[in-house]
Amino acid sequence: MTLRRALVLVALLLGACHRSPVHATSNAFKVALITPGSIADAAWNAGAYQGLQQIKDSLGAAISNIEAHTPAEQEEALRSYAAQGYRLVFGHGYEFQQPAERVSRDYPNTIFIITSGQRLSGNVIPLVFRIHEATYLAGMLAGVMTRTGKIGFIGGMELPPIKLGLDGWIQGARAVRPDVQIRITYLNSFDDAAAGKEAALAMIRIGVDQLHHNADAAGLGVFSAARESPGVLVYGANGDQKSLAPDRVVASAVVDLPRALLVVSREIQHGAFTPHAESFGLGSGVIRLAVNPELERLWPTGLAERIKAASDSIIAGTLKVAGQAPR
Amino acid sequence: MIDSALLVGFAAASVRVGTPLALAAVGESIAERSGMINLGIEGAMLAGAFGAAVGAAHGGVASGVGAAVVAGLLVATVFAAVAVAARADQIISGTAVTLGATGLTGLLAQRAFTGGNLSLPILPVVHVPVIEHIPLVGPVFFRQTVLTYACYVLIPLASALLWRTRFGLELRACGEAPAAATAAGVHVGRTRALAVLMGGACAGLAGAALVLAQVGMFTERMTAGRGFIAIAIVALGRWNPWGTAAAALLFGGATALQYTFQAAGSHVPYQLFLALPYLLALAALGMAVGRHRGPAALGQSH
Repeated sequence: MTLRRALVLVALLLGACHRSPVHATSNAFKVALITPGSIADAAWNAGAYQGLQQIKDSLGAAISNIEAHTPAEQEEALRSYAAQGYRLVFGHGYEFQQPAERVSRDYPNTIFIITSGQRLSGNVIPLVFRIHEATYLAGMLAGVMTRTGKIGFIGGMELPPIKLGLDGWIQGARAVRPDVQIRITYLNSFDDAAAGKEAALAMIRIGVDQLHHNADAAGLGVFSAARESPGVLVYGANGDQKSLAPDRVVASAVVDLPRALLVVSREIQHGAFTPHAESFGLGSGVIRLAVNPELERLWPTGLAERIKAASDSIIAGTLKVAGQAPR
Repeated sequence: MIDSALLVGFAAASVRVGTPLALAAVGESIAERSGMINLGIEGAMLAGAFGAAVGAAHGGVASGVGAAVVAGLLVATVFAAVAVAARADQIISGTAVTLGATGLTGLLAQRAFTGGNLSLPILPVVHVPVIEHIPLVGPVFFRQTVLTYACYVLIPLASALLWRTRFGLELRACGEAPAAATAAGVHVGRTRALAVLMGGACAGLAGAALVLAQVGMFTERMTAGRGFIAIAIVALGRWNPWGTAAAALLFGGATALQYTFQAAGSHVPYQLFLALPYLLALAALGMAVGRHRGPAALGQSH
């Protein structure tokens, strides 16, 4: 009976979570990152993890990270880091906003930064990424490159920041080809790469030849589908994803998460930070379109100039991209 | 919309999506016939997927498949040790095994695969000569990977094992009346442990199918509940390998159908399509109610 209990306990402990250890003195600048999914997704979560590493290397911070997939785990992880005296806790994604607001009331000395957050609330600080400015440019590319006139988007879940990126992609494609048809599939998962692949293959079967995604690790299946489907091109999200399929990825709408996380961490470490919503667009360099140079030979003449002109207009504010984030 | 290329594409996707479900469910049907309900097969499938990725990265697809089976067996061994040898509650230990495998594969994957990549060798689609040309059936069922063909072989094998051998008779006796089986000289613990291990090996193969026949890489939690769906499929298939395979194909079809519907673009809310496979499974379960019960001693320790 003790053996039975011990075995079950060991299994439970193994499953509970895995986190990296913290080696630090008590007065070190302690920074934690909570990701909603795998840090090996080559995009959203991987970028934040790189940012955390840079915070350690550049600022000498003591760091820790954990994955928390469900709302209950996410709130618990926020609370646990705050209770351990972390000065700065990153909740990596829109879904952390509400749990962070609840937890922050009990921990006024911890700053909670919500990437793609909604609003400023006490010590809960949103980082707003205007990713739709970059997906607009990717959408322009897709609108020009499509032969069938059908382009597709595969999303993890219909969260507001994902919807915003999709709106930019659609607006960009329609700007260059008003009659383009847009197909959208939601997977209801950020982990299920096989679902991402089958959803992409289903789109390819009905003639979609340009695919964009925003589904983290599940989105990796989209690249797998494109690699085995001649003539299909892909547009990455959140990180530069050309290495996943170098002859198929035209460009990626990138959020330079390491840079954004480092900038805001440095301000907080130096005490120069007054709580405000930080918003990053194309003008900041944090949001950008990362073009795959190997596929630039496919671009019709004049396209590079059109993309550049649109980018300049967005930065100048003369071109408004759909669903402009507040402030 | 109904043209034959689209239909074949959709039906072949159903078989592809159904393959890991069928592999896991056929194995689980053997375990459940012996009286063991193993919620750890979700973990065994995930471990199999991880093993497949590591094996394929180091020694090609064949070692990937081999490593997947070994990983599935390892996880099933843990479950057998706790639930058979130590007689712990099957539901609790199976859940613990799945949680453990989820955490452990996640941790190991972060060490083994830094940054996503798609460089693994994957299983090619094998065209079976002659029969691949049978209209509809050929391109749907006989242009798949070897793991799907392995599934075609496993189904009759499992069925023959359960109903045509002495071991199968003893195994089913352990699931119906373990006390009577003991009285008849059957070693219930050993038989159940063997059944669990067979289920684990099949779940490992299912994980291999996800990585080597579908995605081409490992991602954390990539099984996304397929092990649990396989357990529902066993009940839907009435604890019979043939019925189980049919139920897996139905579920694969419903899943492929929802992707097709979403991609086709319509004004129906996509949430309805996402729920479609589960609604179908519920409807099928509802229709099956009362016609067949599971093994009488299912979930009872002995």
